[in-house]
Amino acid sequence: MQSQSFASRYLTMRREKMQHGWQLAKRNKVCYLFLAPYAILFFTFFILPIATSIYYSFTYYNILEPARFIGFQNYINLVLQDEVFLTAIKNTFVIAVITGPVGYILSFLFAWFINELPKWLRAIAVVVFYAPSIAANAYTVFSIIFRGDAYGWFNAILMEFGLIEAPKLWLLDPNYMMTILIIVILWMSMGTGFLSFVAGFQGIDRSMFEAGYVDGVRNRWQELYHITLPSMKPMLLFGAVMSITSAFNVSDVPRALCGYPSTDYAARTVVTHLFDYGFSRFEMGYASAIATILFLVMILCKKAIAGLLGRVGT
Amino acid sequence: MSEVNTVKSAGTMKNIAGKKFRGHLVAGETDAAFYEKGNDTPLVQWNYTRLHRMDNIRRGGTSSQVTVILKDDSRYIFELDHGLKVYNYMDQHWTDKPVTPRTRGDELHRLAELRGEKIQVPKKHMITRRHPNRSIAGDIGIYLLLIIIGAAMAFPLVFQVGASLKPLDEFFRFPPPVWPQHPTTDNFSDLFVTMGQSWVPFSRYLVNTVFITVAGTFGHLVIASMAAFVLAKYQFPGGKTFFAVVTTCLMFSGYVTGIPNYLIMSKLGMIDTYWALILPAFAAPIGLFLMKQFMEGLPTALIEAATIDGASTFGVFWHIVMPNVKPAWLTMIIFSVQSLWNTSAATVIYSEAKKTLVYALGQIQAGGIARTGQVAAAQVIITAVPIIIFILSQSRILETMASSGIKD
Repeated sequence: MQSQSFASRYLTMRREKMQHGWQLAKRNKVCYLFLAPYAILFFTFFILPIATSIYYSFTYYNILEPARFIGFQNYINLVLQDEVFLTAIKNTFVIAVITGPVGYILSFLFAWFINELPKWLRAIAVVVFYAPSIAANAYTVFSIIFRGDAYGWFNAILMEFGLIEAPKLWLLDPNYMMTILIIVILWMSMGTGFLSFVAGFQGIDRSMFEAGYVDGVRNRWQELYHITLPSMKPMLLFGAVMSITSAFNVSDVPRALCGYPSTDYAARTVVTHLFDYGFSRFEMGYASAIATILFLVMILCKKAIAGLLGRVGT
Repeated sequence: MSEVNTVKSAGTMKNIAGKKFRGHLVAGETDAAFYEKGNDTPLVQWNYTRLHRMDNIRRGGTSSQVTVILKDDSRYIFELDHGLKVYNYMDQHWTDKPVTPRTRGDELHRLAELRGEKIQVPKKHMITRRHPNRSIAGDIGIYLLLIIIGAAMAFPLVFQVGASLKPLDEFFRFPPPVWPQHPTTDNFSDLFVTMGQSWVPFSRYLVNTVFITVAGTFGHLVIASMAAFVLAKYQFPGGKTFFAVVTTCLMFSGYVTGIPNYLIMSKLGMIDTYWALILPAFAAPIGLFLMKQFMEGLPTALIEAATIDGASTFGVFWHIVMPNVKPAWLTMIIFSVQSLWNTSAATVIYSEAKKTLVYALGQIQAGGIARTGQVAAAQVIITAVPIIIFILSQSRILETMASSGIKD
């Protein structure tokens, strides 16, 4: 008896809430009108592709024939049969684990250091650090710097100092590829996140630093941990999202520098693999399975980092 | 008595600009007003969006004697009786600079000001006063580190520019010089000759890229701003959820959605048209995200006042909100131009006549050793445009990015 009345009361509450929501929606109907153009496009080019991709990942689909449902077969093949995928996972993991956190920490540190500079110097420093990631193709210069013959700048320097006898094929030798890729990607890692940090530092209320000084903050590290970091949490999370995205989506740099496909697949990443199956072999179902796995990993990473950042400065 | 001015009629501030008024500044929790002596109607009213910046007024200045100097229609300076100045800009950025003299120079300056003497503006210091809790060794370390890393960051770009100016023989000199001994612009003129001989004229590629960039950026600006406006300033069912979805989608970039995107575009018949590049650019999540974060900083009173005056939602958006978020525009434009300028679009556009500049220059890159110089020149051109746009708009961009960030 008691429980029934609880249930009916709950239902009434729900209904009232729904009605309230409906009235709120009706009163603000012009809002939906404003949102509509963006929402339609966003749905078409972002939500729908993600949903379609997840659906196709359970099918065999080569664009010419209609998609044929095959259950988890794509995923099983990926993990059990595709050795190149395992190389790709390994490479992406190495690149993400090194360039993600290191790039993130470096962007934060340099943004912090730059913030200590006088204003006119700060403007120059921001351009110098941000420039490599403004132009998406700037990394192609590394194919000249690390060129495989003696006219490559890096080879020439090492030979001048007698460190190597003969020029090395930096971009074709599987032993060096990953190192060079990581250097290049780190070079490009001062991106949107970095910009958001630089701006975030300038947005912090200066009286907080003065108050901190009065309360006994004696050096810049204490100031960083107790005052700066807690006031920058939103930017930190934004920067983390940006850095996860770029760390897991590495694909242009290895394709441009190390060749496509690279020697022994030594520079293959998950997205290069996806590109191979999706746009060279047109095995869309298989490529979609790769994409879906990548989505899930990135979402998990974001959740983990949001959890970590929740504890900063406490 | 001059007329009452509220934020809603910020334009009329010009009438009282440059004049001094004595009176009270009363700061409440969410708003503040300036009252002239013996007048109950406020002369100026503000609505604060960044209350923490108002601590100084609330702590020391509530109801105290204030001189308000209106610099122009967007800038106010309050001089509180005990020598505290509060600066306000655009009704949202509050800064404070205590004028209590700290150095002898400051004191002399202040005395001269009090006597009403005309004083020479002191030379601006290149390096500002150090924070009290900073060690000199640490400062030197930071400068050294920044110089070394900065040089390393800049090296490849300098190398690129150097390479574009090298005559062909210097590409094959050992050891290869970073900067050419006999700089020449031959590479650039050769590039234009090569491009001129191609099947599709160079200007066509340029027109394609500029068209895609301009159309995509303009549409993105209007459509994403409209969505950002209602998401930031109105409470309606579904709004929060929608924004959360957009934030998550910040992560799904490029190739990951490339395949299904291709499939959808082919269903819509957009493959091999400009629309395949322009329409998705309209809905880029990062623009909406930044715009929404920035618009949240606008005073709500601004919108309410306009609504009471009878403006429609679109009127508020177009005449009140958009003119006030110019820095955010610029940032959106930069990000949009950057991504559109750099698209090679090889996967969705097949006709040669519709290809972009980046794609065309990529073809030259495939031309091998003999074209090394031209490749470098092409690369410099591609790189220079977004960097120059960024340099020109840097300060405004940083203003917008200061309100970026994901509140979790």
